[in-house]
Amino acid sequence: MNILTGLLNGAISGATPILLAALGGAFTFYAGVFNIAMEGMMLMAAFCAVWGSFAFGSWLAGVLLAILGALALALIFIIFAVWLDTDEFVTGIALNLFTLGATTYLLRQSFGVKGVFAGPGIDPIPRLHLPLLADVPLLGAVLSGQNLMVYAAALATLISAFLVFRTSFGLRLRAAGYNAASLDSSGVSSARMRVYALLLCGVLCGLAGAFLSLGYVTLFSENMSAGRGWISLAAIILVNGNPWGVAIISLLFGFADVLGLLLQSYQVPSQFTAMTPYLATLAALYFYARRHRKERGYVNR
Amino acid sequence: MSIQRTEARVADRSVQLAPPLIQMQGIVKVYPPNVLALDDATVSFADGEIHALVGENGAGKSTLMKVLYGLVHHDRGEIRYRGRPVRFRSPGEAIAAGIGMVHQEILLINEYTVWENIVLGAEPVDRLGRIDRKRARGEVQAIIERFHFALDPDAIVADISVAARQKVEILKLLYRDVSVLILDEPTAVLTPQEIPQLFAELRELRNEGHTILFISHRLEEVLELAERVTVLRKGRVVATLPAAQTTRRDLAALMVGREVLFSSRRTPQASGDVVFAVEGLRYEDEHGRVRLKDVHLQVRAGELVGVAGVEGNGQLELVNAITGLLQPTAGTLRVAGVDLTRAPILERRRYIAYVPQDRGRMGGSLAASVVENAIMTHHRLNPRLTRWKGLLLDRKAAHHFTDELAQRFKVSMPARAAPLRALSGGNQQKVILGRELLLECPFILLDQPTRGLDVGSIEYVHDQMLAMRRAGRSLLMISANLEEIFLLADRIVVLHRGEIVADLPVEQATLEQIGRYMLEGKA
Repeated sequence: MNILTGLLNGAISGATPILLAALGGAFTFYAGVFNIAMEGMMLMAAFCAVWGSFAFGSWLAGVLLAILGALALALIFIIFAVWLDTDEFVTGIALNLFTLGATTYLLRQSFGVKGVFAGPGIDPIPRLHLPLLADVPLLGAVLSGQNLMVYAAALATLISAFLVFRTSFGLRLRAAGYNAASLDSSGVSSARMRVYALLLCGVLCGLAGAFLSLGYVTLFSENMSAGRGWISLAAIILVNGNPWGVAIISLLFGFADVLGLLLQSYQVPSQFTAMTPYLATLAALYFYARRHRKERGYVNR
Repeated sequence: MSIQRTEARVADRSVQLAPPLIQMQGIVKVYPPNVLALDDATVSFADGEIHALVGENGAGKSTLMKVLYGLVHHDRGEIRYRGRPVRFRSPGEAIAAGIGMVHQEILLINEYTVWENIVLGAEPVDRLGRIDRKRARGEVQAIIERFHFALDPDAIVADISVAARQKVEILKLLYRDVSVLILDEPTAVLTPQEIPQLFAELRELRNEGHTILFISHRLEEVLELAERVTVLRKGRVVATLPAAQTTRRDLAALMVGREVLFSSRRTPQASGDVVFAVEGLRYEDEHGRVRLKDVHLQVRAGELVGVAGVEGNGQLELVNAITGLLQPTAGTLRVAGVDLTRAPILERRRYIAYVPQDRGRMGGSLAASVVENAIMTHHRLNPRLTRWKGLLLDRKAAHHFTDELAQRFKVSMPARAAPLRALSGGNQQKVILGRELLLECPFILLDQPTRGLDVGSIEYVHDQMLAMRRAGRSLLMISANLEEIFLLADRIVVLHRGEIVADLPVEQATLEQIGRYMLEGKA
């Protein structure tokens, strides 16, 4: 395996959890929910995946539990931000911090370990070998033999784009974000669209978390989402939620991830490379804020 | 006396009518904590009629219609529709039963096309849930043609006029097959030229068997379009009258509960020196679009100038250039001989009083108390309100100042410390108007000073403006209501695409002529 295919494979693995979470966040973005809870949903899912896989000895059970775990957080978000109308930002922060504490606590309670739980009892998500594609020169090494969840992410991108832009669900979803009052007056509840978006976000973040702890690696460590939820938020904001754009940005972030690992082998301190995701998030927020200032239309200066 | 007689006469009439399509009986609605919006309101609407609802702001006409539409839930009373009692829990249920409402503010998705807006919520889909675009577009095209609406189904809503957007709202309901259309102040956003077309389209709908209920402030329109008129006052239905046997004066008296004068009370007076002058004012926005183009405008002492124009033709930019919210690309601004072109806002406020169009956002803070709203700007310019060289507010002086303002401008408020939000629209505007007029500035800028106010409050604001004119101030008023300009102004100026296309003494102008300038610019 040469360096290029290695880099590409690394970029794809790095991009997958970001892409899945960002697709989930894209639904809430379109629905007009300022949702920053992807980080927490992913972390909860990563823990539940390992727990399920270990307890039932099956990766499928792990994935299902991951989805349920992320959905539980989505449900809490719905109760607070949609039903009780609390501030979305504060709700999101609370959920993220709660999850960090809860998973760390549960890790110690369930497995009696600190920091990391790994072991042969955890059943990982299998890799998928595509018979025909594997034989294609150059591309074969990248397209075939990836983790099952990588293909799931590609499929999710396709389905998300179809849902958002082609279906009546998508028209209503985007309407909820553009002008909720207009959608309500059309006889469709915008609150309900926000609920659907958050539930979809829960499912996709569940898959993202499952990939983290059963695909990317086969272990759970404290705070293992490590800012990927925030990066997915940055990806969404940079491309206004467009699923195809989200896929491209996720790949770029994935690439930056691999590059960071590569740089570490050239004596660049790992603490420095660990900063890149957050710098990228800041950059994304800068563009977001600038666009909003323009939209607000304040003419002075 | 005469009002009570009319009410009695009306009560008799309603008994003789054929069984109505909609009957609202004894509707009571209390907005928490204790605002009585509808107080035992009873009214009925006949099948296939155009029925107008009039009343002052807060009289309950919008609330009554929202109750019918399922947007607001009544506390007591009964609604019968086609002979059966109904209680719609949501607008969706009302629409399904055939009752639709077009709101005062247009609620469309600017980013979507006309057809997407029309089908939203009732999209034709295939098995996969994919929108059948061809069918949707075709169905929309068909109703556009059936009712002779001039509209392009593929236009983006952000690009079309307000009148066209209103048509989209109406078509949205027709697409859902409603037979009862409720329109909340449909003409408020239209130019005089656009109104006859809307009325023609509404009559067409009526002829096709639709029932139209419409809320309006403009009594002459009500009498022109409607067959019957229902008057509400303080949450009660005071009368339902046949339009053919009613005059504007009758309606106004029923609405307010006393006689209202409609003629201009402006008395001719010689104007003085030029107080306000802008010369060669030009403004280009960040995209390089010219928003104001070589604007020359003067206002003399004791003169009131009205600025007419379709919204979005430079009024906002002109106002912002005067108040200092934007810096013009070229041109000068002088008030009372002082060059204010580059002056900071506080400096401008010594010369310019400003009543903005948006009471809740620019005019004041809805969450702040009446006192805080009353002393805004004064607290910087009036040394009486501060101590310690402006470091501390003098609370006593502020309270005293607020009481003075409330007394002079007849503000009725629950308490000085109450938030501005707790006051009615008319009283909010009185607080802001009072604050601005008490600045004692030589020049007064008023942007839509009576928008959204009821008849009584409008009369009051107009009186205050005319009093200022008599006192020798110079006034510039921007108004979307041409009638208001004709009633008050000495001169009328028309803005079209950022340019002044007409500047006429009111005596020489006609409504039609000004309307043409507004739409077509310099012909």
